[in-house]
Amino acid sequence: MQKFTHFYSLTPEWQFQLAKEMGGELIDNKIIVIPENLGHGHSYFTQITPGISALFMDFVLKTPIKMNRLKSENELYIFHFDFSNEPSLLKINDIDYKIGSSINLGLAVISNAIESSFKPPINERIIALRILVDKKLLNEFIKNHPTEEYSTRKIKIVKQEPYYYDNIDSNSLLLIQSLKSKSVFESSFDPYLKGISLKLLGNFLNRYSESITVKNEISPVEIEAINKTKTYLLDHLYNPFPSVQFLSQMAGMSPSKYKMLFKKEFHNTPNNLFIKEKMLLANRLLQSGDYNTLTEIIYDLNYTKLSYFCSKYYELFHRKPSEDFKKKHPSKKTRTVMM
Amino acid sequence: MIDPFVPGVPLVPAEIPDKVRSGNSYFLDCGDGITAFYVDVKFNIDLHMYQNNKTNDFVGLYYNLTEGETTLSGTDYKHDIGRWQYNLYVIDSTLKSNYYVKTGSKTFLLCIFIKKNTLESFAKKNNINFKNINQITDPKKNTIIRFDRMSSESYHILTDLRKLTVGGPVFDLHLTATVHLLLSNYLRKIAGNRIIIQTVNEHDLASIIAIQKFLIDNIEGHFPTIKLMARNANMSESKFKNLFKKITGTTPNAFFMDNKLLSAKDLLEERKLTISQVSDQLNFTNNSYFASKFKEQFGLSPKVFINQL
Repeated sequence: MQKFTHFYSLTPEWQFQLAKEMGGELIDNKIIVIPENLGHGHSYFTQITPGISALFMDFVLKTPIKMNRLKSENELYIFHFDFSNEPSLLKINDIDYKIGSSINLGLAVISNAIESSFKPPINERIIALRILVDKKLLNEFIKNHPTEEYSTRKIKIVKQEPYYYDNIDSNSLLLIQSLKSKSVFESSFDPYLKGISLKLLGNFLNRYSESITVKNEISPVEIEAINKTKTYLLDHLYNPFPSVQFLSQMAGMSPSKYKMLFKKEFHNTPNNLFIKEKMLLANRLLQSGDYNTLTEIIYDLNYTKLSYFCSKYYELFHRKPSEDFKKKHPSKKTRTVMM
Repeated sequence: MIDPFVPGVPLVPAEIPDKVRSGNSYFLDCGDGITAFYVDVKFNIDLHMYQNNKTNDFVGLYYNLTEGETTLSGTDYKHDIGRWQYNLYVIDSTLKSNYYVKTGSKTFLLCIFIKKNTLESFAKKNNINFKNINQITDPKKNTIIRFDRMSSESYHILTDLRKLTVGGPVFDLHLTATVHLLLSNYLRKIAGNRIIIQTVNEHDLASIIAIQKFLIDNIEGHFPTIKLMARNANMSESKFKNLFKKITGTTPNAFFMDNKLLSAKDLLEERKLTISQVSDQLNFTNNSYFASKFKEQFGLSPKVFINQL
């Protein structure tokens, strides 16, 4: 496996080093052509406005590579939209996340203050768009947003966790899809990419502002109570679902009110959110290589029936758990991944 | 006599009272010497606007989707404009123009003002040679003036923008995005050396546009035959097919299907109808055909589309 190290900046300079290291040709400070020995394809970088830049990647690899992104001085958020058919591995804080449209989680927001590495699969077309946004600028957007209550919450999400992941909404999917058919060597590509990137960013901000009207109806105390129950759920992923009755008591409201507010706040029911998080945990456990059998894992996660677990897992990732499972091995380093 | 289209002076249009027109208009500086002016209004009286720009260093691209009677005239030209007329025109700021609107007209207009030197450097940077740039300039007077029809893609980019609430930083993002996308489309058109519509016989052009309108009005039905459309347009079938392709860039059938699928997408987005109801309403033979066409067009199936809305 070949490893490359790079960093991001809003201006094109960062590409020099990476292009040199990879042996790729850098055209016009925008396009890096992937050298023959690695595969074929290219990346395209453009600066849209002083605080926003976009990097579009479209390539097929012959040999596995790993791109280590170093943290850099300037304060950026990286919006990673992945639209490849096969998932890529995104490693943040030593945890592998699979990202790609096929597993429903195509969007990750990472702060550039944290290192991450990107490991795309080989012999598959990789299509990904990274939008780099100045933190100050994004905060500005959020601050200027019609309702402030929402904004404080939004920043908190990004700040609390080093990353934020989600599925890509349909309209954004269509936008990225339309990039597929364009050639980066055409003169019209540059404004097109700029337009698409800004639209994606707009969609992202819109998507989270849709909940604004709702937000105003919920008092901060209630939000806090709801958040408390969510934290409880996340802390007890190894247990069975504690029942809505129990959670609503914890939040100090009636079960029906609790369910309603929870849905408004997180766009999901408590149980479904719990299962989703459980499956994400399961995904990590499966790949950890600490287990001998699937059954061990499902017992740890408090499931009794393997078939139930498998069906839930399939719902989220569209793969069987066995496909992701890495058996415990005397030497953990030798990873043979069959994709 | 009002002089509303001066970039960088956002106050002027805002002063027009509601009695004259109701709706939104919005100015935005998109950077790089580009300004956008967004208008979505209904005119409540007949109006004559006279445009005389204070500076002559910019070019205006007007995407005009007015439904109603609107005419634009200058010293040696006079054209009906609007959604079903010329809906894209490029005019040099040195030229004065008269804009007439009839009561009840609903104007949806996006003007993109670009500094001439920006346009030039843009063209140079993107390797568009000046042979092509000359296509939009009038060689005799060395001023830019063109009347044209926007591509279907541009039209849908604009209608997407229209769905949003005007104002605020997120709208600004979308508006800037739209400007970039439209410019990209326009550049592709220039670079692709596509026919400039003004060279088509005025009468033929009107017939083809009428057929386009006919197809859009009957978007829910089956595809009418080429024979029928050619007869309506008073042309032979082969002439009709050729001309349609020249003017719109696609075949009648592709144009029809693209628009059908886009209206399917809009219906799904409203979330009032199920996939099979949408498929029935738009007269697709069956659900699986609809799904496969949808996937072909947008790259994802209707089911995935509604799931991730």
